[in-house]
Amino acid sequence: MVYSSLLYIYGFLPISLMLYYLTPRKWREITILLLSIAFCGMISLYFLIFISVFTIINYCCIKLIEKFRRNEKLASVPLVFGIVFDLLALFAFRTEYFTWLHRLIKAPEGFFPIGISFFVLSATGTLIDVYKKRLSCRCSLMRFSIYIMFFPKLIMGPLLRYGSFSKLLDSRKSSLSGIGVGMTVFVKGLAKKVIIADNLYMLYRSVQSSNFNEISAVTAWLGITAYIFCLYFTLSGVADMGTGIAYCFGIRLPHSFNYPLLSSRIKYFAARWQSQVVQWLRRYITKPLYNSSEKKWLWEAVFIFGWSLFGFWYTFDLNGLVFGALMGAFIITEARLREKKIMELTGIFYTFLIVILCSVFLSGSSFSYSVKYFLVMIGGNGTIADTQAFYLTKSYIVLILLAMYASTDLFRNMMTRSGKKKLKIALNIVSPMVVAVLLIICTALISYSGSSEMLLLKL
Amino acid sequence: MAKLTKLTSRITAVLTLSVIAFFFFMTVFGKKESFSIAENRKLADIPEVSLDGLYDGSDVDQLGYYVTDHFAGREEWISAKTIMQAELSEQIVNGIYIGKDRLLDAEVSLRTPASVNADIFSRYAENYDGTVYFAAIPSSSGVYGDLLQARGISRSDSQQITAFYEFLSNDIRKIDAYNILKMLNENYIYYRTDTKWTTYGAYCVYKTVIQKLGFLPTLYDKYSIQHITDDFRGNLYKKVLSAKVKPDIIDIYSYPDGAEVLSCEKTTNSGDTVESELYDLDMLDSSDMYSVFLGESAPLIKIRTSVKNDKKLLVIKDSYADCFIPFLIQHYSEIAVVSPEDMQKELSEYININDYSQTLFMFGVENLGNRSNLEKIIERN
Repeated sequence: MVYSSLLYIYGFLPISLMLYYLTPRKWREITILLLSIAFCGMISLYFLIFISVFTIINYCCIKLIEKFRRNEKLASVPLVFGIVFDLLALFAFRTEYFTWLHRLIKAPEGFFPIGISFFVLSATGTLIDVYKKRLSCRCSLMRFSIYIMFFPKLIMGPLLRYGSFSKLLDSRKSSLSGIGVGMTVFVKGLAKKVIIADNLYMLYRSVQSSNFNEISAVTAWLGITAYIFCLYFTLSGVADMGTGIAYCFGIRLPHSFNYPLLSSRIKYFAARWQSQVVQWLRRYITKPLYNSSEKKWLWEAVFIFGWSLFGFWYTFDLNGLVFGALMGAFIITEARLREKKIMELTGIFYTFLIVILCSVFLSGSSFSYSVKYFLVMIGGNGTIADTQAFYLTKSYIVLILLAMYASTDLFRNMMTRSGKKKLKIALNIVSPMVVAVLLIICTALISYSGSSEMLLLKL
Repeated sequence: MAKLTKLTSRITAVLTLSVIAFFFFMTVFGKKESFSIAENRKLADIPEVSLDGLYDGSDVDQLGYYVTDHFAGREEWISAKTIMQAELSEQIVNGIYIGKDRLLDAEVSLRTPASVNADIFSRYAENYDGTVYFAAIPSSSGVYGDLLQARGISRSDSQQITAFYEFLSNDIRKIDAYNILKMLNENYIYYRTDTKWTTYGAYCVYKTVIQKLGFLPTLYDKYSIQHITDDFRGNLYKKVLSAKVKPDIIDIYSYPDGAEVLSCEKTTNSGDTVESELYDLDMLDSSDMYSVFLGESAPLIKIRTSVKNDKKLLVIKDSYADCFIPFLIQHYSEIAVVSPEDMQKELSEYININDYSQTLFMFGVENLGNRSNLEKIIERN
């Protein structure tokens, strides 16, 4: 079950909100857990068993580490076991080399534990935090289960530390206006996914399915632009939907994306794109390495390594690794070269160009394919534009412009930072209507198939 | 100002939740149909909960289909989607291209290639004493694919047919329907809202086919043509429910001075024989008007005519041939029409193929990828 389906929006969501608000305040945490269990069970009973076993094993490791706290060597045994177990789970389902393991644990045909890339990192991080005694609160089984299974953050994060999540759970504030904000964010995410991402996916697919040796440079550019926007709107759309629902339950999860695509520096793009995952990698992997590297080039190598891991996390193959490494290298180059202030527009332009260049590698199915694709983009097939390119441009230009506008923070700034009082009042009056209309439009768009399950990347 | 923002949020909450609650209750308590007339298909049933189904998640998937199919106002939602989606992207909705004056299947590239099934027909020919003819008919997106430049569809059907014919054994005589139709595509040879050809399209191919089979075609001006409906909406329309494209006309060609049908016997899957007719005009009131041709589908139809030449023809076909069969009755004393799609047993259970000296295969290329259907025409050893 995905958030952008009729069954979820008009079935699971209203029922779960009703159950939550009918429960007396002190029992509401249990309701959240039960709802999350129901959500996992509705993906499939096998998934529920899988994630429960995963949670319990990790919880046992945490308890063992806590028990052996005094003796670091002894405590490292459950730590290492836990990490190996988590990584095995991650690699088993994200790579293709473990089909024997799937058979061993009797996984149904085509089983993929949705959100595994997020909950494995969550669990591993908690193990390390407990071992390093960085966790201020005690870890309870119920809280930990909610932490792993909480349905609004199951599919697309955000990736939070156990401590932060626990605090968010404690500081729950439920109010009608909170639900309003939550629904606004949810509908925003739904619109990103259904209106923009799904249609750009058609453009991407239509370029993909063309004969690779015949497409023109413009078509190739359209294809990759569609890919990067589609990726952004899919990931951030699903994340927004989750954040919105969590908000309806009074839990204020942070945003994963902060309008990264049209940033004026690569550095800003990097800081705004799925920042929790980057922070996780920094906290648990690269930071200890930074501390031991004194020379500048060593430091930079670690930086690029961290970004390579980030890219690898997306695809689990060489292409993702190249994407990350290129990204890291460009950030460093930028930091070295760019001293002077330049025009913001120039900055936006070159940042977008670099992002597109890197995402050629993220989108490709193999390294050689990506290199070839890049060559086509610079005119390798000998045609700059053909009828197909004109046709696609004509068909999709409105959508691409819409996507560009929606990926900037212009609208948000108008909403929140505008000094003009009249404009603000006007925006406040129309915004509930806009949200309701968007919800209806999105419902219509998913009405035929009932859900929009395209996720571009299986995370 | 903070108060205003709070008020706005509250209004948003009430508004969105009432929209959700409204459709929730409408869907839960609304009237449930088991068949959709507008979409001409059976709607999903509520899942029977079983442990296996819960275990692999198929029960919840089924519940999702159920909610989708029975969602309050589904037809209106789909029509609205068609209008909006066409604005957002390249006029392709639910895999259907919505052109100025016709609908086309835009997901041709997702079909299984026909050539993988060529061996079935070659094996049929091996066990058969007579002559085998094959006419693979392109779908409307093959003939009008130029409208869809960006998807490379224009070439798809012709390439598929060429590849398929190359894989067929040399004993089978192939009929190039594609080029005949392609040349005539200024005429009304394909329905605007369906993948199939019109009766006129079938006539144009008939002229070539019947010469290959060894007869002279009946001339066009000998027919009297009857428009039986101008409100036909085909299988492409059923997926988008878009009113943008005009509904189609169905024509029936009759030859008053020619041979008559003496009997038309349908064998059903239960083994009974029912008397029926070449055209079943009652079908005009059903959700599937195209079934006017040959009436409700059956695995075997035997047609006997007043032609006195003792020639017998076996036609193995899909729905494309339904409007084609009536043209043949002027030439054969007996025609057996076999539809593998509707067969539940092997071909030999219905008919002895060697009673017929000629076999004509007539399939739409879109249906040639379906191996499990086609396999029924050969003996499984």
